[in-house]
Amino acid sequence: MTKPYNSEARLGKYLVGGPPFLFLLLMFAAPAVITVIASLSYPGEFGGLAPLVARDPGTLHGVTLETYRFFFSDFIYIEIFLKSVLMASATTLFCLSLAYPLALLIARSPKKRRDRLVLLVILPFASNFLIRIYAWMIVLGPQSALSRLINGILSLFGLAPVHLLFSSFAVLIALVYVHLPFMVLPLYTNLEKHDPSLLDAAQDLGANAWQRFWRVTFPLSLPGVFAGTALVFIPALGMFAIPEILGGTGDMLIGNLIKEQFLVTRDWPFGATLSIMLTIAVLMIAWLTAKLGARRYV
Amino acid sequence: MWRCLLILALAGSAQAENLLHLYNWNNYISDTTIARFEAECACRVVQDYYSDNEEMLAKLTAGAVGYDLIIPTGNAVESLIRQHALRELDKSQLPNLKNIDPAYLNTAFDPGNRYSVPYAYTITLIGYNREKIRALGLPVDSWAVIFEPRYLEKIKGRVTVLDSQRELLAAALKYLGYSANDTEEAHWMQARDLIIRAKPYWAAFNASSYIKELTVGNIWLVQGYSSDIFQADLDAVTAKRGFRIQAAIPGEGAVLSLDSMVLHKSGPRPDLALRFINFMLDGKNAAELTNLIGSGNPNRDALRYIRPEIVQNPAIFPVSVQHLEMLRELDRHQRRVLSRIWTEIKLR
Repeated sequence: MTKPYNSEARLGKYLVGGPPFLFLLLMFAAPAVITVIASLSYPGEFGGLAPLVARDPGTLHGVTLETYRFFFSDFIYIEIFLKSVLMASATTLFCLSLAYPLALLIARSPKKRRDRLVLLVILPFASNFLIRIYAWMIVLGPQSALSRLINGILSLFGLAPVHLLFSSFAVLIALVYVHLPFMVLPLYTNLEKHDPSLLDAAQDLGANAWQRFWRVTFPLSLPGVFAGTALVFIPALGMFAIPEILGGTGDMLIGNLIKEQFLVTRDWPFGATLSIMLTIAVLMIAWLTAKLGARRYV
Repeated sequence: MWRCLLILALAGSAQAENLLHLYNWNNYISDTTIARFEAECACRVVQDYYSDNEEMLAKLTAGAVGYDLIIPTGNAVESLIRQHALRELDKSQLPNLKNIDPAYLNTAFDPGNRYSVPYAYTITLIGYNREKIRALGLPVDSWAVIFEPRYLEKIKGRVTVLDSQRELLAAALKYLGYSANDTEEAHWMQARDLIIRAKPYWAAFNASSYIKELTVGNIWLVQGYSSDIFQADLDAVTAKRGFRIQAAIPGEGAVLSLDSMVLHKSGPRPDLALRFINFMLDGKNAAELTNLIGSGNPNRDALRYIRPEIVQNPAIFPVSVQHLEMLRELDRHQRRVLSRIWTEIKLR
């Protein structure tokens, strides 16, 4: 390769890759810096932030760690984090166990039909997210066919009727429902690329159906599993609309708490601190997943 | 000659741009009223909406500008006044101010009404399914029915309370015999314990869909706003549900939310806004809102235009306002303490 060609190629690379890279950097780095500064400020009297440098020395101003102290002053905020992690983990687990067979089915169906099936998976995105959540209110409401069926069966065994709506159960169902496509798609993309001759070889070597799956297909699909897990777990961890609409009296997750700091309590510094804690938690989990994925795959 | 034309063109476009920007609650003015005002002032009313005060304040704090007129609740008015965000009213432009009942003037959040003029009010009270609650023989004249397990066990899972820190705390404080504006932390802790004890019996904290839940019969008893209960009853009657939704003000007292019209400093047309306020102070125009949504009305002249079944409803027009309180603004420290209590309530 000649030198001018090389530098030209590099220029081309920068021109193509630069703008999106810059955009991502700006849209991630700038808010992150603002969030950190906000978390180190005092809350403004009417919301917003107290100034870092005050014109009038009598007013509250300056840099402080008080929101962090408040966060760690007792266990309750850690508890709500743990609860959110638990909810997001359960969501991910259910999504995985539902999505895997589905993705496998699509990947192994005739080529002509695959695209149509994938389209069906993403079809729910055609209607608004909130409308789909409100639809669950009707599906799970006490007058619904589902509720009546379940309570009918329960009463046969002499058990007290249950309320499906306004419960952790309702929140979990909606979380799984909303995030399922995000698990199906990366799994499908991975499974579709598998070479069928590998399975033939395994069969020739005497592996039964279960062994073929567990020792060939599943290990090869791990990158898809990890991608899907990240795509489901991370948004589920910060979700606030679903617990707000379908949750009962105890279903507050970390997303609700953060939203509340900005829109109700008008305590921006504490909201920023909670957001930073959430970001740290997400980064730690993403790092763990990546590390786990790399080790298993190499 | 050209200059003349230019000036004319500018004047023409200014005429066309006769806009009043109104930042209002959802469904808080009748279309007929808007149309009549537009005809009278030869202007156009542009509305933007919010669903609670905090949302409106948060939006203004984030720098939203251009609203001539806003209709916040008392404590939000107080916050806006202290932020120096409001214009003083020129009362000489408001001859209809005489129509307002003096009981709703000179409030703690705006002494002397320098910045605000009452628009309408709601009361935070108990709404209930008349047939169900009557059959169970539960009392509705006390917050006890919301907080006491001995009543709640008969309607477990059929009760919702407002998803509002201030409103729920106020109800608990009232039940304990304190003021809704009590800021003593020890009293707040008592209120917290009362709420946590009652919580297992409640279906949800709900401020958005309880009207629907009452109307379809899923929920039998709520802490809610008087205008929402009115709406739920209308819906239940229209849908021929076979039951009625009624409201009662608890004897311990309740929160009265007085919404007032204020001029935001960023609004370019205070002249139109004042004209609008005076227009809304006219009894006939004020009455239209009450007839539409069942809100309380501080306008004495409006009473004769309001439908009798609304005027005679003591949950909308209370016989006495003695035991009703308006919420005051909390400072940043109190807000954080309350949020901490709220998190605990939700987690326990």
